Amino acid sequence: MLASLAWRNIWRQPVRSILSLIGLAFTSLLLVFMLSFQLGTYDTMKVGALGLFDGFGQFQPEGYDDDPDISRLLPDWKALLGATEIEGISAAAPRASSFAIMAKDETSFGAAVIGVDPALEPAVSTLHSTIKEGRYLAPGDDATIVIGEGLARNLGLGIGDTVIMLGTGNDGAVAADVLELVGIFSTGISAVDRQITQMPLARFQETYNMGDTVNVVALRGLDFNDVVAAEADLRALAADNGSVYLRWDELQPELRQMITLDLSTAMMMYAIMVVVVVFILLNTLYMSVLERTREFGGLLAIGMRPRQIGAMVWLELIFLSLLGAAIGIAIGAGITLWVESVGIAYPDMDEIMRQWGMAGRVYPNLSLLSAVAGPGVIVFAIVVLGIIPYRHILGLEPVSAMGAA
Amino acid sequence: MPKITRRDMLALSAAAALLPSAAWAQDPTAILRGAFDNWKAESSHAVMEMTIRTATGTRNLEMESWTLGDDKALVRFTAPARDAGNATLQDGRRTYVFNPRLNQVIQLPASAMQQSWMGSDFSYDDLAKTETLITDYTHTLLQTKSSGGHRVYVIQSVPKRGVPVVWGAQVVSVRDDYVLLGQQFYDQNGKLVREMVTDRISTLAGRPYPVQLTMSSVDTPGQWTRIVTKSAEFDVSLPSYMFTRSNLQNPR
Repeated sequence: MLASLAWRNIWRQPVRSILSLIGLAFTSLLLVFMLSFQLGTYDTMKVGALGLFDGFGQFQPEGYDDDPDISRLLPDWKALLGATEIEGISAAAPRASSFAIMAKDETSFGAAVIGVDPALEPAVSTLHSTIKEGRYLAPGDDATIVIGEGLARNLGLGIGDTVIMLGTGNDGAVAADVLELVGIFSTGISAVDRQITQMPLARFQETYNMGDTVNVVALRGLDFNDVVAAEADLRALAADNGSVYLRWDELQPELRQMITLDLSTAMMMYAIMVVVVVFILLNTLYMSVLERTREFGGLLAIGMRPRQIGAMVWLELIFLSLLGAAIGIAIGAGITLWVESVGIAYPDMDEIMRQWGMAGRVYPNLSLLSAVAGPGVIVFAIVVLGIIPYRHILGLEPVSAMGAA
Repeated sequence: MPKITRRDMLALSAAAALLPSAAWAQDPTAILRGAFDNWKAESSHAVMEMTIRTATGTRNLEMESWTLGDDKALVRFTAPARDAGNATLQDGRRTYVFNPRLNQVIQLPASAMQQSWMGSDFSYDDLAKTETLITDYTHTLLQTKSSGGHRVYVIQSVPKRGVPVVWGAQVVSVRDDYVLLGQQFYDQNGKLVREMVTDRISTLAGRPYPVQLTMSSVDTPGQWTRIVTKSAEFDVSLPSYMFTRSNLQNPR
């Protein structure tokens, strides 16, 4: 009975109620879209930044993260490739890496050289898709190398040229090799394009005198969050094989820091938005309670208890906020889903975005969290603060209330 | 130009009077200079052995070295077969390496100078920048102590302002007959990073000489590099082609 009364009361003042609903719905819509967009951006950043080279997760020998020395080897890397049997993991690839001097004639530069399996690597990292000239490493390659365009420019190298590589092998002896440049990649991240080179793993192991061992196994999943969810299984597999598993934010802590910083500034903005909306709405509703004092006096006179009237008004508040939030979520989700299908491009921010591995468009990511969190907080705040009009009503006396202006 | 006032003169002469006369003989820069002269002389030719102990095993290398003045040095590895033929040439601040498998000379980029030299605890910078200890640092005599009938000078060397150096400070111990006893390397935070110790001193070509040196890093206990000088001759006349790139690649 109280509920139907409350519902009817809302529509006794249709204009005011609709205006309140629009305010609520619009705020909810904004919160849904902005949060979805923000979380979607983070996902794009993570996939871009980690997918380019590191992988969504990595198995490493203990201590390798602090001191990536070639002599730190995975005890049983072939068993770790079995991670692909864990749900959410689609690919795994072994790698060995070291520092080397790359030279052509008189010129030389230092660079990281990474031995990769040409058959497995393309399923884990997207570096192969940034090849600008020539081709990526292919199965069956022997003395070949791909380098970034910055290093190629510095060394004056073109496709087919010979690259001299000089490093220190696993045993400390000189590791020297002559390789043919087959591909030049351009990731847009200048540090990568200047300092990263890749060669076939088998040749690397031979040149660096490391037998059939590797330094890390990198992982990828079809969905980034599936890999995050598989963490416990991956850690268990690593522990079984005497190695450690590194999550995405252990591989790139600066990415997590950036996301945390960005999210906390955004949260402050959202909080301000919610507070403003909640108090404006509450003010309107409290005003309406005040001007209905005479009506409440009448209700008291015909025998309704103050508690019941208070509950009725509280229900009005709850209905109004739920309705507004629902409309906001519906429209917000609709807009978000639409943008999700087309994406948003930032034509002038390409350079900055490529630094974070975000080539092309950004897509929002609608989830239960992003849809419900913002509007939910508003509804919750209004419902809790509904105690203010409720308490006001408890204090009403029938006679004086009926005489109120 | 600042004028020297009467008061400055007074202050100066007072300071001079207070300084013990022996302090002039203990000029830390002169001591270091003496240690280097004892070590390398105007020119030198030596046969050495290098033992490298790492977590994975021990390697023994043999090498022959030639030095001229402060800034020219050539080191050629002669054994074992795996390493024989590799050579390093330092000419001023430029460092070249020769690898027989590549049959090519490569000038090291600045970014590679911190890399390990032949897998040892020495870096290319250690070879190329030995002399910068004298020129790029300011020296203070920390302590003078007696040991085994000798006086030992402990000198702290701090980089001069604006000089690009790797270390925050170095502490060098030199015996009064200019034998280098040890060298400690500290990082910018004043933490000891690695240490070189003279294990054995004997007479070599008529001079007291640190014939066995061991370098070790603090963060890799149990791992070290030891260099033993088997034989040496000093102030020899070396042919002018000795320190050229062509000689590095094709020894005459």
